[in-house]
Amino acid sequence: MKGWIGVLGFALLASGLAQQTITLQAWTIGPEEASRTRATNLVEAAEELNRILEAERAPYRVRVETSFETTSWDNYHRRLLLAFQSGRAPDIVQTTHVDIGAYAEGGYIVPLEEYLGRYRTFQEVVPALWSAVTYRGKRYGVPQDTEARPLYFNKTLLSKLGWTSSQIAGLAQAIREGRFTWEDLIRVGQEAVQKGVVRPGYAYWHRPVNGPDFYQFYYACGGTLQNPQTGKLVLDRTALGCMYGLLGRLVQTGVMTRDLLGMPWANWHNTVSSGQVLFASAGTWTWAQWATQYYAKDHGGYDYLWRTFGFALQPAVRPGGKPVTLSQPQVYLVTAASRNKELAVRLLSLVTQPKYDAKHAVGSAHLPILRTTYVLPEVRNDRFLQSVRYMLDYTTYQAMSPDWGVYADAIFRGISAVEGGQLSPEAAVDLVAKDLRAKLGDRIEIR
Amino acid sequence: MRGFWVRLFFLGPAGVLVLLFFLLPVVLTLFLSLTDLSTVTFSQPRVVGLANYLELLRDPSFPLILKNTLKYVALTLAFNVFMGLFLALSTNLLPDRLGEAFRALWLLPRITASVVYVLIWQGIAATAPYGLLSQVTGVSVNWIQQYPWAAVILANGFVGASFGMLLFSAAIKAIPTELFWAAAVDGAGIKATVRYVVLPLLRWPILFVTTYQTLSLLTSFEYILLLTDGGPGFYTTEVWALYAYHLAFSNYYGNARFGLGAAMAAILVLVGLLVSLLYLRLFNFRHLLEVPRIEVE
Repeated sequence: MKGWIGVLGFALLASGLAQQTITLQAWTIGPEEASRTRATNLVEAAEELNRILEAERAPYRVRVETSFETTSWDNYHRRLLLAFQSGRAPDIVQTTHVDIGAYAEGGYIVPLEEYLGRYRTFQEVVPALWSAVTYRGKRYGVPQDTEARPLYFNKTLLSKLGWTSSQIAGLAQAIREGRFTWEDLIRVGQEAVQKGVVRPGYAYWHRPVNGPDFYQFYYACGGTLQNPQTGKLVLDRTALGCMYGLLGRLVQTGVMTRDLLGMPWANWHNTVSSGQVLFASAGTWTWAQWATQYYAKDHGGYDYLWRTFGFALQPAVRPGGKPVTLSQPQVYLVTAASRNKELAVRLLSLVTQPKYDAKHAVGSAHLPILRTTYVLPEVRNDRFLQSVRYMLDYTTYQAMSPDWGVYADAIFRGISAVEGGQLSPEAAVDLVAKDLRAKLGDRIEIR
Repeated sequence: MRGFWVRLFFLGPAGVLVLLFFLLPVVLTLFLSLTDLSTVTFSQPRVVGLANYLELLRDPSFPLILKNTLKYVALTLAFNVFMGLFLALSTNLLPDRLGEAFRALWLLPRITASVVYVLIWQGIAATAPYGLLSQVTGVSVNWIQQYPWAAVILANGFVGASFGMLLFSAAIKAIPTELFWAAAVDGAGIKATVRYVVLPLLRWPILFVTTYQTLSLLTSFEYILLLTDGGPGFYTTEVWALYAYHLAFSNYYGNARFGLGAAMAAILVLVGLLVSLLYLRLFNFRHLLEVPRIEVE
């Protein structure tokens, strides 16, 4: 008997020793605190994966090491690039879908087609999001979340301006139907400044740094970013002129402050969320960000936000025009440097389940990626998610191209020139067109 | 032959350092500047000859960046040298302990970490209710955004002036006291003493400070990066080195263009060399190296 126990004990010990732990590294970013589920969901999915591996009697277990960046996209992108180049990239990287073009061309990430068909969970992903991760006909990533970018309006300030509560309640619908345009916004903004409801330049704010939001103006102006036939980036001079004209007018009319670009994000969020700005373009996630960071955190959180703010699409540029919003889906990518690509995708297949999707969506005010997530009670009962869901019908995307960064930098340079008052909208269009022609040659279509 | 080995022994370590950290980077930069290395082409960079240099020439922002760089270097340099000189002279006229206290005070910006230093500036310059200056004056503007050039030059100058101050003070202290006595005997006041005794003897340190600071200003950008990031508006305070940094390493979308950035850096190396030669000429370097004609034991 004793001998048998010894043998059994030895066998157990040996199997324990033989079991291997495979470490998967995953880098994620908010930068807002509320999106930390991008990292923690992976850790929870790994626990689930380990239970499955145990049932399968697999000789290994998985450990996920995550990092969650809370500083800025600029820092995160630089960190990724240096990791890619030093050959020390983590296995999984979460980033925005537009990075796929450049990263795929650079050979830092691998297409996932061969793995994606193996897992059922991926079939429930909203189809449009698969197009957002497709580059040169191959899917390079697994969608993580998506969002819309609303125009927030301050209900308290609007009522101070003399708006009735039914007028305020109807604003989102008026914008949706193209009855309240950018011209109306400028008019209301000027009135708010004149009546002292807001300080000069505090009637409308867009984001203070480069980023995707600006293409909402371009799309509202009828612009196109990419030629679907050739895949080339497109610069529509008329639409760009319309967008620069609008941004310039916002500054000149005193609706938007000239000091906006370059303002630290923390000041921006504190000023807007504490109710000093009438209209502001931001993202759905901003809602959760305001509730958990900055001013609203200590002043009633979500209750305060619901009392104070309303949200709508970004208005049309002319009456009857189409309002817009923009989505920049986040994706999990598997790097070329990873030695456990198959396992990484398996982990991603588990994190792509409604329970994780819902947890992230509800907690961070992003929109779910799975059709099946919308039927979960926590999502059905989430007032905010349900109120912004319709915006996805009006959404647009940035262009997927390895040259996107160069393009976007040039456009932003024009924005800063116009808002800074250094160039007229027309001159800025000329400068940007010339710059892009010099930088991209025939890889860009200028119309 | 033994002499050769001894020389090698003593020069070797420094030589290796110079080779590894000064010459090699220049060669690498030159080589990189001839390739199209970027985020996109990282796995297969191609040699593209002078294409990067041509692109820079065609860049419509090029003249503005050049102008900004000249403005930044000239104004900051002037501030650094004159302020350094003023501080050295004035603190030397004070009683020793008081003078030292003032000099220590002026060293604070230099020994403060640059990020912390700029955070303090931002704290002072932000709009109300966040900014000190806006609170005190009652005019709520972002002072850095409003006066970006003043902010850039002063923030750099407060750090840079202490460099000249230290060197000039030391040089003034090294002037033999007999010369001051002699000047006093000849009836020279403070102004004449400074003009005819101190300044001529400070020629060496002034040359050194001017040259050194020109070169370091040409390549420095950290305070501008942190203060204005080249803004506000359209490249208002973007200088050459910052532009190279932005192109090669930093922007929202993470598209790094190392080749182009290297081309800009290579031009900077060339400009630095030319400027150094010009200064050596201007200050009559050879004359400075002559055996001194007066020697006070």
